Amino acid sequence: MSTLDLFNAIQNSPVSQWIGKQNHLLGAFAELFHIVGLLFVLTSILIVSLRLLGLGLRKQSTAQLVAATSKFIWVGLALLLVSGLILFLPAANNYYPNDIFWLKFKILAIALIVHLTVFRYVTRQANSHAVVAKLTGIAALGLWFGVAFSGRFIGFF
Amino acid sequence: MTLWASVNDIAQLLTDSTLGTSIRESVYAYPIIEGLHLIGLTFSVGLILFVDLRLLGVFLRNVPVTDVLRPLRPWLLTGFVLTFSTGALLFASDAAKFINLWIFPLKIVFIALAGINALWFESRWGAKAEQWQVFALPKQVKIAAFTSITLWSAVVVAGRLIPYLSYK
Repeated sequence: MSTLDLFNAIQNSPVSQWIGKQNHLLGAFAELFHIVGLLFVLTSILIVSLRLLGLGLRKQSTAQLVAATSKFIWVGLALLLVSGLILFLPAANNYYPNDIFWLKFKILAIALIVHLTVFRYVTRQANSHAVVAKLTGIAALGLWFGVAFSGRFIGFF
Repeated sequence: MTLWASVNDIAQLLTDSTLGTSIRESVYAYPIIEGLHLIGLTFSVGLILFVDLRLLGVFLRNVPVTDVLRPLRPWLLTGFVLTFSTGALLFASDAAKFINLWIFPLKIVFIALAGINALWFESRWGAKAEQWQVFALPKQVKIAAFTSITLWSAVVVAGRLIPYLSYK
């Protein structure tokens, strides 16, 4: 089965068909919740990454900020996943030929891997090396903003 | 000439200007500005949201309010500079159309109300925040935080509706 066949099967699945038949306002709500999810995730990453760069909430340790923001990141990712699926499933074939769509998910895959490995490790250290902390902060910001930026581009191409 | 007619004329001048035309007609300028508008939003509305969540006792509730508010202020203000300047460019790209959509002036009203709420909070509580106990915040402060979240949400909803109402 080629990827195109897979996307065809996704779009023609009963769930996708059902979503596609709903009022078009469902899509508008999904886009809104996609923005809400994005604000939770990106602003959380921003707060922790600024701290890694020695900026922003400097009185708190990075570990404290990770603990305070992690629930917002997971709630945000859940919102993004559900709203993203509502947008994607009934229109999978439209996304298939879109280069920016694939770029977004490549950046997202790297962002998630970095988040669950390097970012997780560095932000839990009591005393990580300043250069390591800064590079991690820059990488996290670059990757997550890259996901948002490329995501915003999809609709234009 | 009525006031509204002159507003329309100005909007048309902006739409026809070199700036407005080049943004509207460029393949990349419009999405790039949209992308920056979104990133500005995570700094501006995003950080405001987290400050409000602190005031409501949902985020960093054991940290004094001023320790959250003060260090984030320059970042969220920078975010607003980015959001407003990219917003102005997006507006210029099709000003004559936007001012005639009912949702656009409503979005501006919500932004103004959110701004007034923030200024009221600053003038009423800005200097006193130092004295607050970590947990016991005045009730009016919670109301201001709740109002802020509501109004900025309304701004985002109105903003997201603009393209839906533009291309009918």
